[in-house]
Amino acid sequence: MTATEPRAPLEQPQPTPRRVRTTVLAWATSTDHKRIGLLTLGTAIVLMIAIGALALTMRAQLAQPQMDVLSPDRYNQFFTIHGTGMIYLVMTPFAIGLGLYLVPLQIGAPNVAAPRTTMLGYWLYLGGAVTLLSGFATSSGAADHGWYAYPPLASTRFTPGPGVDLWIAGVALAGTGLLLMAATVLWTALVKRAKGMTLLRMPVFSWSVVATNLMVIGAFPSLLVAMGILAAGRVNPAIFSDNTWNIGYQHVFWFFGHPVVYVMFFPFVGAVAEVLAVFGARRYFGYKGTVVALLAFAALSMSVWGHHMFSTGQAENDYYSLTSILLLVPAGLEYFGFLATLLGGRLRFPTPMLFAVAFVPQFLIGGLTGIMIATPVVDYQVTDSYFIVGHWHYTLAAGSLFGFFAGFYYWFPKATGLLLRERMAKAHFWFWLVGTNVTFLPMFWLGLHGMPRRIASYLPQDGFGTANLIATLGSGLLAIGTVLFVVDVVVSVVRPRRAPDDPWGGFTLEWATSSPPPPHNFDPAHPLPPVRSYAPLLDLRAEEGRA
Amino acid sequence: MDYRGVFDQVFGLQVWIAVGVFVLVTGLLLGALVVNRARRRDKLPFAASQNNPIEITFAVFLGGAAAFLVWLSLSNNHKLDYGDTLAVAQQTGLAPGQQPVRVDVTAFQWCWSAAYPGSSTLVSGSCATPADRPVIVVPQGRPVEFSLTSRDVVHAFWIPDLAVKRDAYPDHVNTLLMTFPETGQWLGRCSEFCGTYHMDMDFYVRAVPPDQYQAFLQTGALPAGAAA
Repeated sequence: MTATEPRAPLEQPQPTPRRVRTTVLAWATSTDHKRIGLLTLGTAIVLMIAIGALALTMRAQLAQPQMDVLSPDRYNQFFTIHGTGMIYLVMTPFAIGLGLYLVPLQIGAPNVAAPRTTMLGYWLYLGGAVTLLSGFATSSGAADHGWYAYPPLASTRFTPGPGVDLWIAGVALAGTGLLLMAATVLWTALVKRAKGMTLLRMPVFSWSVVATNLMVIGAFPSLLVAMGILAAGRVNPAIFSDNTWNIGYQHVFWFFGHPVVYVMFFPFVGAVAEVLAVFGARRYFGYKGTVVALLAFAALSMSVWGHHMFSTGQAENDYYSLTSILLLVPAGLEYFGFLATLLGGRLRFPTPMLFAVAFVPQFLIGGLTGIMIATPVVDYQVTDSYFIVGHWHYTLAAGSLFGFFAGFYYWFPKATGLLLRERMAKAHFWFWLVGTNVTFLPMFWLGLHGMPRRIASYLPQDGFGTANLIATLGSGLLAIGTVLFVVDVVVSVVRPRRAPDDPWGGFTLEWATSSPPPPHNFDPAHPLPPVRSYAPLLDLRAEEGRA
Repeated sequence: MDYRGVFDQVFGLQVWIAVGVFVLVTGLLLGALVVNRARRRDKLPFAASQNNPIEITFAVFLGGAAAFLVWLSLSNNHKLDYGDTLAVAQQTGLAPGQQPVRVDVTAFQWCWSAAYPGSSTLVSGSCATPADRPVIVVPQGRPVEFSLTSRDVVHAFWIPDLAVKRDAYPDHVNTLLMTFPETGQWLGRCSEFCGTYHMDMDFYVRAVPPDQYQAFLQTGALPAGAAA
C-alpha cells in the first residue's frame, strides 16, 4: 500500500441518535471529540480570565514605586501562578484543545481515536488545574517559586508549606492529561483520515497540530521527570546540596520548557494561515514549504533548550546559540507563506481576519527579539530582566493569543451554530491591538535600563515609574477588551442568531457539515465531499464555476 | 572584559537589522491591506499557490542570514571570557603568569558578601535599605576575577550598566573575568528570583585606583576622600 492510497474507514458509520443528550452527565462522560474539545477550550478560557486578573493586580502593584497593593509574598505567588497557569492551563490547552476539536473534522474522521483516553486527559487537566490553584486556600498560600521552580528554592528547606506540593501535583496531572490528548489527536491525524485525505492534503492547521503534538510527545515526559525531581526534593531537600541536581533539573526542565513554547505557537500559525487564505479568497501560498518548515521547526525545537541557561556558566552557549538562531529559517518560510497569501489575495476584513493580520507583525517583534536573546553576549545583559518579559509577552499575548482569537471568531459559528456580534468583536480587537503594545513595549526599555523580572516593588530613584505606569494603563485596555469578548459571547448565547453552515466561504471539510456538526461529524444530510487538495471546498466551487 | 562594549556593538547591529525586517514585513503587509481590498479587486492579483524557485531561493537567503547571525553571536562570545579566561586576561594587559585579582562573592538570602583572598577584609551588608547595600571594591585597570557562589538558592550577579550577568549557585563556583578601565561605582542587582526579598538584593561595585585598593585590603576600609 502506498502512502497516497486512500484508507478504508476503520469503523462503520453509526446511525445518528434520535436526540443529542445535553445533560451535564452527558458532557462529563462524552466520547465526542467536539464536546471534549469544547470542555477543554471553555475551561481554558475561564482560567485565562481568572489568571489574567492576577496579572492586572500585579500591574496595579507595579504602577508606581513602593505601592502596597500586594505583599511581597502574595506578589510572588501571583506571578508564579500567572506564569504557570497561562502556560500549563491556558495556552497549551488552547493549542491542544483547538486541535482536538478541529483535526477530526478537517480530515473527515468521525471522531478522535481513543476518545475515552482523550476524556481522561481532560479530567486530568481539570484536576491538575484545581489542585494547582487550591494552593491559594492553604495558610501559606500558593506556590511562589516562579513557573520553572528552580531548586533549591523550590525545596522544603527554602519554600515550606503545601502550596508547592499542590503545584507539583497539579502540573504533573495537567501535563499528563495534555500529553494523553495530544497523543490521541496525533494518532487520529495519522490513521483516521477520510478517503482521499492524504497526508499532503491535510489543511495547514491540521499539519500545525501534527507538528505540535509531535513536540508534546517528545517534550512532556521530560516535564514529568522534572516534577519527579522536585517531588524528591520536597521529601529530602538535602539532594539539592549537590549542584548536579540543581543544574540537572534545569536541563531536564528546559528540555521540556522550550518545545512547549512552540506548542503554544504552532496551532495559531495554522489558524492564522487558514484565516488569511479564506479571507484572501485564495489557496494558501507555499503549502508544502510551510509543512516542511513546521516539521523542521519542531525537530530543531528539541535542541535549543540551553538558551535559557546562557548565564548559568554551565551550558554550551555556542551550541545553543547556533541551534536557536537556525530557527529563523523555518520561521522565515512560515512568514513567506503569510505575506505571499496576503499579497495574492482579495482581502475581506471580518474580525477573524483582523486578529490574523495583526498576529503577523506582533509575533514578528517576539521573533526578532528572540534572535537577540539567542545571542549570548546580548543575553548576558537582558536575561531575567523585563526585556525577556516583553519578549515572551509579544510571542504569547500579542502573538499566539491573537492567533487564538482569530481562530475563536472564525470557528465559533461552526462549533455553536451561533453568530457573534461583529461590532463588539471588532471593539475587542482594537482594545487588544492598542493594549498589548502599550503594555508590553515599555517592558523592553525597562529591561535594558536594569529592571529585573519578578520584583514585587521598586524604589523611586530607580527611574522605572513612568514606563511601568504606561504598561499598567495598557493592561487596563486589555481588561476592557476582554470584558467585551465575554459580553459578546454571552449576548450571542442569550439572544441567539443562527449561523449558516458556512458563513465565511471556508475551504476545509469542517465547513461542509452542519453548524454545529452532527455527533459523528458527517451524516447522510452532510456527506463528506471529495478531497483532491488541501482546500477541498475551494476545488468544489471551482468545478461548479466551470460547470 | 568589556561586556558593555560588545553588547552595544552586537545589540546595536541587531536592532538595526530587526527594524529593517520589521519595516519591510509590515510595509508589505499594510500595502497588501490597502491595495488588495476585495472592493478594489475583481480577481486575484496572482493565482499561483506555490513557486519553488522563489521559495528555495528565499530559504537559501534565510540560511545565509542565519549563518551571519550565528557568526556574529559566536565570534563575539569568544571575545568575552567564555571558556578561556586567562587568554582573554592576557589580551587585556595581564602579563603572562600573573594572576588576575580574585574577589570571592557569595550570594545569600537576601544580600551579598565579598571576601578578598590573602586579606582579612570582608564586605557585607543587609540590603534592607539602600544605605545597607554592600560595596564590593575592585582595583581600576587590572583584570578582576569574580568567583561567584551562593550559600543557599540560585541568585544572579547583574550589573546593568556594564551589561554583564552570571548566576551564583550553591555547591558551584562561576567565574566572571572583567576589567574596570575607569574608576566609578555601579549598581548591581540580583536577577534570578530567590524568594521573598529578591527585590531588595542590590549592591554596588566600586572601582578605585590601585593604591587605594591596597589600602582597602590592609585596613578593610577605603581611605577618607577615596575616588568615587
